[in-house]
Amino acid sequence: MRNNSVVNHMIACNQCDSLLPKPILSEGQNALCGCCGAMLFSKKKDAINRTIAVAIAGLVLFFPATLLPIIGISAAGLYNDASLLDCITILINSKNYIIAFAVFMFTIAIPSVRLITALYISSCIKFNRVKPSLLVFFRSYHLLDTWTMVHVFFMGVIVSMYKLSSLADMTIDGGLLSLVLLLVCSTLVSVTMDEHSIWDELEKSLEQ
Amino acid sequence: MSNKALAAGLGNCPQCHKLNVMHAEKQACSRCLTVFSTRKPKSLEYTLAWTIAALVMFIPANLYPMMVFYTLGKPDASTILEGIAIFIQMGMLPVAIIIFIASFVVPLSKIMGLFTLMYNAKRKTKLTLKQQGKLYHVVEFLGPWSMLDVFVVTVMAAVVNLGFLTSVEVASGITYFTLMVVFTIFAAESFDPRLLWDNHQKHNHRITETNPKYNNKDELPHGK
Repeated sequence: MRNNSVVNHMIACNQCDSLLPKPILSEGQNALCGCCGAMLFSKKKDAINRTIAVAIAGLVLFFPATLLPIIGISAAGLYNDASLLDCITILINSKNYIIAFAVFMFTIAIPSVRLITALYISSCIKFNRVKPSLLVFFRSYHLLDTWTMVHVFFMGVIVSMYKLSSLADMTIDGGLLSLVLLLVCSTLVSVTMDEHSIWDELEKSLEQ
Repeated sequence: MSNKALAAGLGNCPQCHKLNVMHAEKQACSRCLTVFSTRKPKSLEYTLAWTIAALVMFIPANLYPMMVFYTLGKPDASTILEGIAIFIQMGMLPVAIIIFIASFVVPLSKIMGLFTLMYNAKRKTKLTLKQQGKLYHVVEFLGPWSMLDVFVVTVMAAVVNLGFLTSVEVASGITYFTLMVVFTIFAAESFDPRLLWDNHQKHNHRITETNPKYNNKDELPHGK
């Protein structure tokens, strides 16, 4: 396998396809492409433990973030509030199935699947139980990256709060706080997860 | 400038970024088993198709109302642009600007950016490679942010529900808007940024065509 040993010491830029020697990084360093400046990979500190911690926190926060009311309004003695789940049920009741599906997928299903995947992969590596099925999980983790939209939903809540504040008396409920914390966790998972070394780890363990 | 993986008969796995020795046009990655090609097959055709679909969806998304506002039982439907005009009349300029940028400027500039990228991947352009790379990153980054207006309308419809007094109902325009956003994300995903660099090399370094030769004699990593 003469050619393979060369391949293991080279890396190609994902943006411009330049062939570069693979640098060996110490913890906390990034490698950039010399041709176009895109990030090749980075090595992160204590990645596995941090990912497990953040993923568990995020999964626990999913329940208050979806079930507790986010904001409520009151006018002329009437009061109404809504949680994330209420938003989706109202869309289903008004027969807007496409948007109901999109909102459910982008704000609940995909982010939670992504957190579960991160937790599963990290704990399997931590306890030395690498199986071939992890490849499927990790590939799906990559695919779901673009479709996580908790941050956009949060921004949407902020804009509608601004709109509602001129309309009626508005109250902020516990759901909003859980949503902020969930957003922090789901962003932190992508920050703490060291994808490059996890791939290396999987490759090493599965070759045997 | 020609130290490209394609010319060396190597391919970069799009999922796990492992460099593979290519034995054929299309093969499974030796590490994560994803089937991939050195360049995304028919990348420009797919991107063009998704972008045109998004452009078509942009028309009904702006013609049909996004939401219907009921005040004391009286319905008041408004499209994206009408809604913005109402906010300006009410003197809420910051909200008007945010909604205008998020639901009109961003989708339109994303579609235009995709057309520019496709043109750049085919013809000689005045844009430098750095600018083209930046444009691709911006289009990719903007993807989910166009969903902002959909989420705003969703939250409004759920919260503003005070029976006869005031209530908000979701209208048909939002479905087309959601489809448009999803289509532009698909378009950006199917575009292969490496085509920009290939095209630049072709025009500026007089290398006619990088023809990859898959003459690697090594054993297949997953053969037999």
